[in-house]
Amino acid sequence: MGLDRRDFFKIVTAGSASMLAGEVKAGANGGNHRFSDNFGVLVDTAICIGCRKCEWGCEQANSLAFRDKSEYEDKSVFENQRRPVPDKYTVVNTFEKPLDPANPYYLKVQCMHCNHPACVSACIVGALEKKTEGPVTYDPWKCMGCRYCMVACPFQVPAYEYAEPLTPQVRKCGFCYDKLKDGKKPGCVEACPNEALTFGKRGDLLELAHNRIIQNPEKYVSHVYGEYEAGGTSWMYLAGVEFEKTELPVIGSEPIPEITESIQHGIFKAFVPPLALYGLLALAMHTFREKQAEKGDNHE
Amino acid sequence: MKIISKNPAIVGLFLPLILAVGFVSGVSRLSADEAKKTTLDCGECHTCENPSAENLCLKPCPSLFMLQEHAKHTVTEAPDSMLLKILVNEYGPVRFNHKLHARMSDMDKGCAECHHYSPEGRIPPCGECHGGEANPANLRQPSLKGAYHRQCLSCHREWSHSTACAVCHIPLGAESLTGNVKDPTDIIGIPHPLITEPVKRVYYTPYDRGPMVTFYHKEHIDLFGLRCVDCHQKENCVFCHDLQKPARLKKSQEEVHAICSGCHGTHKCSKCHDKKEKPAFSHADTGWPLSRFHRGADCRACHPTGKRISKLNKECIGCHAGWNQETFAHAVVGLQLDEIHIEIECADCHVDRKFENKPVCSGCHDDGRDPRKNPPGKKI
Repeated sequence: MGLDRRDFFKIVTAGSASMLAGEVKAGANGGNHRFSDNFGVLVDTAICIGCRKCEWGCEQANSLAFRDKSEYEDKSVFENQRRPVPDKYTVVNTFEKPLDPANPYYLKVQCMHCNHPACVSACIVGALEKKTEGPVTYDPWKCMGCRYCMVACPFQVPAYEYAEPLTPQVRKCGFCYDKLKDGKKPGCVEACPNEALTFGKRGDLLELAHNRIIQNPEKYVSHVYGEYEAGGTSWMYLAGVEFEKTELPVIGSEPIPEITESIQHGIFKAFVPPLALYGLLALAMHTFREKQAEKGDNHE
Repeated sequence: MKIISKNPAIVGLFLPLILAVGFVSGVSRLSADEAKKTTLDCGECHTCENPSAENLCLKPCPSLFMLQEHAKHTVTEAPDSMLLKILVNEYGPVRFNHKLHARMSDMDKGCAECHHYSPEGRIPPCGECHGGEANPANLRQPSLKGAYHRQCLSCHREWSHSTACAVCHIPLGAESLTGNVKDPTDIIGIPHPLITEPVKRVYYTPYDRGPMVTFYHKEHIDLFGLRCVDCHQKENCVFCHDLQKPARLKKSQEEVHAICSGCHGTHKCSKCHDKKEKPAFSHADTGWPLSRFHRGADCRACHPTGKRISKLNKECIGCHAGWNQETFAHAVVGLQLDEIHIEIECADCHVDRKFENKPVCSGCHDDGRDPRKNPPGKKI
């Protein structure tokens, strides 16, 4: 971490600049059309068959594990709800299909790659970064292990290598950013035999999602999860039942960082509070010094 | 357009379509008011709300429209069994009994169940539209791999409760492809037994006063010339194959009753319900035992309404309109009347025109002769 004083000021300046820019975009929520050109994935839980090949694809693409494909046909894993762990960036869970318990719905969980990621906002060293293409990536070389990102994430996605005493990392899906840059699809999407995962531009995916809802009203509830949740996410979901009945959290449409950032940045807004503070201090010092000078005069 | 220029098959497929639509739109473009009057939903073919000549925004596969208009094919045209092997790499090919599926699809949406795009004249194979890679220009269109998997698994996993690859895929290796499949769990390799209709079915119902309902299945088919699809509608594999039948597929009491009352139109429980098996329908019970002439006749020849069988006029002329002494060819009953008797009034022998009774000779002849021994003509 070669961060000298000069660099530090650069970051601070950039930070205040982005804060000011943030002020411009504040209130523009719902206008997440700005993210239409970002890459995203539409997860159609009505098409997903729970084969877990996405887990295999993810582990291959990220060199997490090298198990045989047939091992993923084990359905006993669905007995317990799972969450992403350090060596599994994505997991498939089930949720109940009304009137047909023998054929439940399946729900793939991974990083949602929020449009306004709370983890990025919480990270004090810039280890997490929202790329312009959409992915939220992680740089272990910058991470200092504070795990604020884990607290900040509304989807409880980042996992931590507690078993690694010396070089623990925060681990989460990085949207296969390297593959994306080469014009390829993420590992999980490539592995999905049913194409329940559709990769594309976020704007196109939203159009596709709404099209599916309109054309199959009996199959889907009229809600694209991730269109507005937490200010919009790159990964979005379709489902046959209300999302309240799935493990996905109920989240408002306000970007998560908006609340915290408005408080924290508000303190430094247009440098008024710091100037006021320093002004106050200066006044105090000034008056104190005058008094001291008077005293000194008396002494002399 | 990049995709189109790459693939001549797609150009061949869509260009005439685009041209045709362009032509139609040029010649008889629908005004907004006219468009509102059509029964077709604009969204069936167009992706945008207000299509114009400049921007037709047509879907590549205007599925529903195409189906209703052009898919008039029968099962007999369908290929028998197929080996889907275009995509073979990691997993082996899939043996697909096309004819069987086609036959069963009659019970629901027919060919359209899978072939959602069928231009006039023919049904193209899946691979003609669905390419090796998902089409990035049209996210609605899955790749061939995705299309196959979605199509097969949407039904198969519902009743097999399995998504294991080997359920459909034959393991890689030449012997398994050519050899006889003996594995009893291999439901794909074994040809489905011919579906034969049952003669009768006895249903046990929760109705105390008559728990048994006997349904003469074969009789209904034979008598009324019904096709499977006439009764079995919106059914799929799950109805027969799924032992853990989901609740949503169980018919409600109203639905069950509607199957019979749709034709029988009765509210009398005892018509169907009984404490024992009901005997099959006998025409004699209606007071009209079928004679040797009527026994082989199609019900609808006398009961033309087909579904509703009402009591008919028992007189011959009730059905055989126009029969009289001149026109009736007596020979059909096996007796060619001689020249004398053919001139006599029908009622002279057939007392009160009751033709089902034995004719008498006593009207003219006093010698007490028997028409069987002394027939009034030549027996044929």
